[in-house]
Amino acid sequence: MEHIGEVVESSTKGFIARSPRMGESPSFGSFVRTDSEPRVYGLVYEILTGSKEPGRKPTAYDMSIEELRREQPQIFELLKTEFHVLTLAYLEGGKIRFALSPLPPPIHTFVHMCSDEEKKELSSEDFFLRAIVSSSNVPVDDLIISSLYSAQNVRKKDKDYMVRMGKSLSRFFRDDYERLSSILRRVL
Amino acid sequence: MIEERKGRSDELAEKIRTARRELDAQSREWEKLSEKVELSKTSWLVAGISSPLDMAHSLPDRPPDYTAVSSDGSQIFPDRHEALPCYLINISSIVLEYGARARASLGSSPVLFHNDEDRFTTWGGKKIPADTEVISLKRTLMEFGRILELARENGGSGKTIALSDGTLILWRLEAAPADFKSEMLNPFLAIMNEFKNLKIPVAGYISFPGSTDVINALRVGLCPEKVSYCNQCPYTDLPELPCAPIEGLTDRFLFSTFLKPGEISSVFRSSSRILEMYGEHRICFFYMNTGEEIVRVEIPEWVAENDQLLKLTHTLVFDQAKKGGGYPIAIAEAHEQAVVKGKDRDFFFDLIREALVRSDFTVAVSRKGLSKRMPGV
Repeated sequence: MEHIGEVVESSTKGFIARSPRMGESPSFGSFVRTDSEPRVYGLVYEILTGSKEPGRKPTAYDMSIEELRREQPQIFELLKTEFHVLTLAYLEGGKIRFALSPLPPPIHTFVHMCSDEEKKELSSEDFFLRAIVSSSNVPVDDLIISSLYSAQNVRKKDKDYMVRMGKSLSRFFRDDYERLSSILRRVL
Repeated sequence: MIEERKGRSDELAEKIRTARRELDAQSREWEKLSEKVELSKTSWLVAGISSPLDMAHSLPDRPPDYTAVSSDGSQIFPDRHEALPCYLINISSIVLEYGARARASLGSSPVLFHNDEDRFTTWGGKKIPADTEVISLKRTLMEFGRILELARENGGSGKTIALSDGTLILWRLEAAPADFKSEMLNPFLAIMNEFKNLKIPVAGYISFPGSTDVINALRVGLCPEKVSYCNQCPYTDLPELPCAPIEGLTDRFLFSTFLKPGEISSVFRSSSRILEMYGEHRICFFYMNTGEEIVRVEIPEWVAENDQLLKLTHTLVFDQAKKGGGYPIAIAEAHEQAVVKGKDRDFFFDLIREALVRSDFTVAVSRKGLSKRMPGV
């Protein structure tokens, strides 16, 4: 399976991967995994496209993307797309463990989309929601909504599952009714 | 100071008017001027003329698909205060393909020079260490070599332009002894030969040119002598020489008076002495209004004499400048890819020292080198 990124920055709580092609990236809230040892699973929470070189900034050309590709092909070589991943779990002895990996994925490790089976397993319990809620620097509410949407899709809109996750969310946000209702209204 | 500047700008405007009048007059009798220029011996470079001087050629249509190739170089000069006497040349490779199969390939590759044959050169029968001048010339050769490779691999006749930053005239070699001159010039001319065989025009692009070749031709025109011999000038007792009213003016001022955006001037021949050794690759030049400024574009004679190649050069150089916001995008990217910054230089010498230490060599760095690295308080 073709990789969707290569790790260029790595830490215990998450990693940053560079897309092989500018402008392409797994979408926000996607479940992804590395092919490192141990395999690390996570959620895409930030996608950035910009100049490869810090001193150079994209400028406006007043052309459509097709025109730009035809007449200014170099700019596509000078831009990069990177996505940030929040670590959710890792693989140990063939079993997914919902904890931070003992070692972060090495730099240059390839990143792949999770299979439907992996997505199902990663979202079967509310651990992924808890990981999101307890993270700083991620857009918590939107990431909950997008990841739940992915989880729901792979289950062909399982109503019981959504009720279960909704209950978990109500526990996490029991002190903040406004926030909880805003999330639930957007999920359903 | 401002007053002084204002005075100078009035003076400049007057000079431009005089030059323009002279250009119009001489263009009517350009054959005569051309002949006089050929016979004259001046102390300055004079443009060779083979068409009216005041022509403006409009922009030909651009082929929808074309390829631009370019390269630039940057170097880390040897430093005698460092652990090893070596140097590095980084050469970039730019291929920009436009149209239906548009793509871009940008990159650079550094070469390390440390052998005796790289560190020394033959200069007038003597072996001397390669200094900044020699390394810069070597770099120029490598750049043209790379541009040729890129043109050969990616280009096709009739739809490719090879671009280089700066002049195609290796005038620095004029003062060099014969052995060194031929060591540098022969490979350069061999590269030009290849371009000619491939029928791919090669052009040197000079932004903000300071050249005065055409103005100097007009000065020859102003000279009352039948043939001008500057070293026997009979007018030195006059308060002002007859050729002085337009002295100090550069060609770009003259051409800015009538070239419209996209237009180029007539093609002139350069009279640099080194070009006597260029044979069929003698360098010609024209001026172009890119819409942003008047630039000088240098081309070998075989491009100048082939209408199709000349038109291709005209339209593609203009398009490249337009794409780059006033400076050819292929050349701009070539520079960006090649440039070696001060930090890279420090990193380079750090790597060399580390490699030496890893192999158990004693690293001896001069006290000056050390004091620069660890300045005390």
